[in-house]
Amino acid sequence: MLLAVIRREGVDVPALCEHEAIEPCGSCRLCMVEITKKEWDGWKNHVTSCLYPVEDGLIVSTHTDQVMEIRKTILDLYMARCPGSEVIQKMAEEYGIYKTSYITVPDADNCIMCYACTRICEVLGKSAIAAVERGHRKVIAPPFGDVPPDCIGCLSCAHICPTDVIKWNDEDGTRTIWKKNFELITCKECGKNIISREFADYIIEKREVPAEYFETCDDCKRAEVARKMGSLVTRAKEVSL
Amino acid sequence: MNVDMDKLKDIIGRSPQESNFLIAVLQDIQREFHYLPPEALTETARALNVPLSKVYGVATFYNAFSLDPRGEKVVRVCAGTACHIKGASLILEQLENGLGIKAGETTEDMKYTLEVVNCVGVCAMAPVITVNDKYYGNVRSDRVMRLVKKD
Amino acid sequence: MRIESIDQLNQWREKCRTEFEAQKRRILICLGTACRANGAIEVYEEFKKVLAEKNINDVSVEAVTKTGCHGYCALGPLVILEPEGTFYTKVKKINIPEIVEKTIENGEIIQRLLYKDANTKKRVADYNEIPFYARQQRIALRNAGNIDPNQIEHYIAVGGYQGMAKALTQMKPQEVIDEVSKSGLRGRGGGGFPTGRKWATCAKVESDIHYVICNGDEGDPGAFMDRTLMGSDPHSVLEGMIICAHAVGSIKGYIYVREEYPLAVINLKKAIEDAREFGLLGDNILGSDLCFDIQVNRGGGAFVCGESSALMKSVAGEIGEPRAKYIHSVVQGLYNKPTVLNNVESFATVPMIIEKGADWFTSFGTPKSPGTKVFSLAGKIMNSGLVEVPMGITLREIIFDIGGGIPNKRKFKAVQTGGPSGGCLPAEKLDLPCDFDSLTAAGSMMGSGGMVIMDDRTCMVEIARYFLGFLVMESCGKCVPCREGLYQLYQLCTKICEGKGTEEDLELMEKLSKTIEIGSLCGLGKSGPNPFVSTLLYFRDEYLAHIRDKKCPGGVCRNLITFTINDDCTGCLACIKACPTEAITGEKKKKHILDQELCTQCGSCYAVCKFDAIDIT
Repeated sequence: MLLAVIRREGVDVPALCEHEAIEPCGSCRLCMVEITKKEWDGWKNHVTSCLYPVEDGLIVSTHTDQVMEIRKTILDLYMARCPGSEVIQKMAEEYGIYKTSYITVPDADNCIMCYACTRICEVLGKSAIAAVERGHRKVIAPPFGDVPPDCIGCLSCAHICPTDVIKWNDEDGTRTIWKKNFELITCKECGKNIISREFADYIIEKREVPAEYFETCDDCKRAEVARKMGSLVTRAKEVSL
Repeated sequence: MNVDMDKLKDIIGRSPQESNFLIAVLQDIQREFHYLPPEALTETARALNVPLSKVYGVATFYNAFSLDPRGEKVVRVCAGTACHIKGASLILEQLENGLGIKAGETTEDMKYTLEVVNCVGVCAMAPVITVNDKYYGNVRSDRVMRLVKKD
Repeated sequence: MRIESIDQLNQWREKCRTEFEAQKRRILICLGTACRANGAIEVYEEFKKVLAEKNINDVSVEAVTKTGCHGYCALGPLVILEPEGTFYTKVKKINIPEIVEKTIENGEIIQRLLYKDANTKKRVADYNEIPFYARQQRIALRNAGNIDPNQIEHYIAVGGYQGMAKALTQMKPQEVIDEVSKSGLRGRGGGGFPTGRKWATCAKVESDIHYVICNGDEGDPGAFMDRTLMGSDPHSVLEGMIICAHAVGSIKGYIYVREEYPLAVINLKKAIEDAREFGLLGDNILGSDLCFDIQVNRGGGAFVCGESSALMKSVAGEIGEPRAKYIHSVVQGLYNKPTVLNNVESFATVPMIIEKGADWFTSFGTPKSPGTKVFSLAGKIMNSGLVEVPMGITLREIIFDIGGGIPNKRKFKAVQTGGPSGGCLPAEKLDLPCDFDSLTAAGSMMGSGGMVIMDDRTCMVEIARYFLGFLVMESCGKCVPCREGLYQLYQLCTKICEGKGTEEDLELMEKLSKTIEIGSLCGLGKSGPNPFVSTLLYFRDEYLAHIRDKKCPGGVCRNLITFTINDDCTGCLACIKACPTEAITGEKKKKHILDQELCTQCGSCYAVCKFDAIDIT
């Protein structure tokens, strides 16, 4: 898509809902650019670059007055919607906005409704959470606003969230996210938390990973490998001697 | 509230068990039960092999669905443009006061549910209300409560 | 019975026509929703009962025909007696024995049931002479009100499926596309995109399957032409879709109908069953290679599903969120397959274009908007209902000549066209021709053809607020400019209606509107600010009156108006009973008194006063 080419050329175009792990959806509109072609006789269009297919001969302007105005207005609107979000505040400041021109949305939270969480959850094949209601009442939520039965505690939603809204907690061998508790597998070597039992089972089933894989953490696995390599090298030296 | 699971399964079973029939199945359930009980969503999700979150998303996206049980009589106030300029908001106000509930709510005795709809397409008789499947046109705000009680 | 060739179709048509015409005396009862609500079903039953009892020569019970909407909804229930065309209005059950005895048995016309011309005060018997009908040119509505929508034989008798037969047996797909292109037919749903070009693009896409979808999700509040067409003449829609299927090579069609239109769903389903039974849908239609079937999908009640990509999502059973259409839905539509999506009225028009030819069609309307268009008239207008007129006719002709003007001697203020995506046009624009391009140039749009007429007791700021409120509720919520932008626009408009707005707010709203127009993902968002932008363009004074003078010239915004009782008060007690806050007191036959402290400006008194005794300032 166009956005990738723009970035390859080193031009900075902001985007909040875009992520390499998921299909673009064009919800934040920040990556909007102006496009035209020689043969369009001066006709121009504004498109979201995350969704626009790359074409030969496309002339792209990323920082026209109109484009900047759109970005500013969107950030201004986000400031009213997510007044507490540091990510939004920082971006808005770059565009000279320190205070929203609009009415702060009642019961505002920091969710910008970019669907990154629901899209990644779908990619993982779970779709435990989804967009609920519509229009301005829309929220991201599990079914019935309750504990999501399909959630496996993988944390993908929390990690992909651009404004860090989805909270989770690992404590005493238990992971909590979306009000759901998961048993954590701990490393048999060092005792560190590795992964939720349900996520591990899901990977074991879907990816044909041997169950032993999740008995030790990545660090201990690496250490194990290093030990083996070390002993091999030592043995090799002994042999050559 | 107890849901007749046999009836529910029967309704779902009548449709092809494919995800693209999701809205149609939910409509059939809504028609029968006048709302979508939680069991209906779980059962539909299972039968059509659609994630429950998506079923819930669809059920909350469309106006046609209600997740709360509704009253014996569903009173709808048309808020189409023609009705609006002919005083629909006044009619709604009278009904809210008269029934003691806000739009979207149901009376405690489960007798009445009050709803606002976008346009029922009989603009020639604006302002319009419907009580269950019956249409009433040229409704007067001072008489609307009597009309609803009488229906 | 399966019709397997054009010869069999013609034979069947002859049979239907003979039966249809054998009924010299036909009693047409309009069973459109408005007439139904006013007791048309009782009228229908009563006619059958009385005729069965009387046993009159040549007039059997079968003569009583229940038809779809006849259009003149303001005067329903309507009864038309053929062959004379005697047009009875506001017919009640108790009138039936009299109609049977006087008019049917003795040919005597009952004057008081006739239409009365508001200007000349004359009664008119023949409905072709009533101004409301006289100026119309009915192509899409050709059969509405004339046939029983549930009897395929009626549709066949009046020439139905003739266009389809011609297309399937005499024309190659490309020839059908060429004819539709030549007719200049533009999408009747609002966009005005050339139908022929749409079909041509779709037909060219290589794919294992092409879909045809009919958009019957008439979401514009104040528009009801598609409801009428689907309910009154469902076969005309099916016929148009079959012709399209032949043109683009489709085997599967969908009709997406609003949940709020139960009658349309029932009639369409019946029509599809009948068409299947006679082999007009299904495999090898009329012995040709075309295999095509249609499924009815009920919409879920979401305005955004009128948008093509959202509608296709909804047909697939998902939430109706539009997608970016950098690749058009004619190329990648339903299930990512090439899809033709046309509106109900467009499909209903197609059979006539094929049957009578593009040249015939272009003889109506204007060069850039050929043909006719159905408009629905509602709001503050005498003759609410449906009219079909040639494109290019002026707003004044529609509103005043056909629509009969504004009731209660009030002044025309604005006409809202195009629904929530359209705009409001003022009196200065009354001589504007109604075609796609003129309406768009004036800052409104054709939309599906809904016209809501407003008098001087309408506040244009409040109307803008109403539409913005509608769109805030109906936005799918996917993209920021629409979800957050329209919400803020609505909040600012509310602020002005409450008398708390500033001129800076107005500037902010204009700026925000521009971003919403350019930045939104789909048509709903892009045209979302239109109700505000168009009212500001033509009624800026009214905005300023709210802001600077804290006055609402239309007398609607509660914070800015005062109700008083003038000397015309006869002391009838009506307002006292109506007042919810007991702000009005007084005795019978004495001028009533309104306590401003208790008054909530709700307008209940104004609504019930018959003597113009309530002033709003």
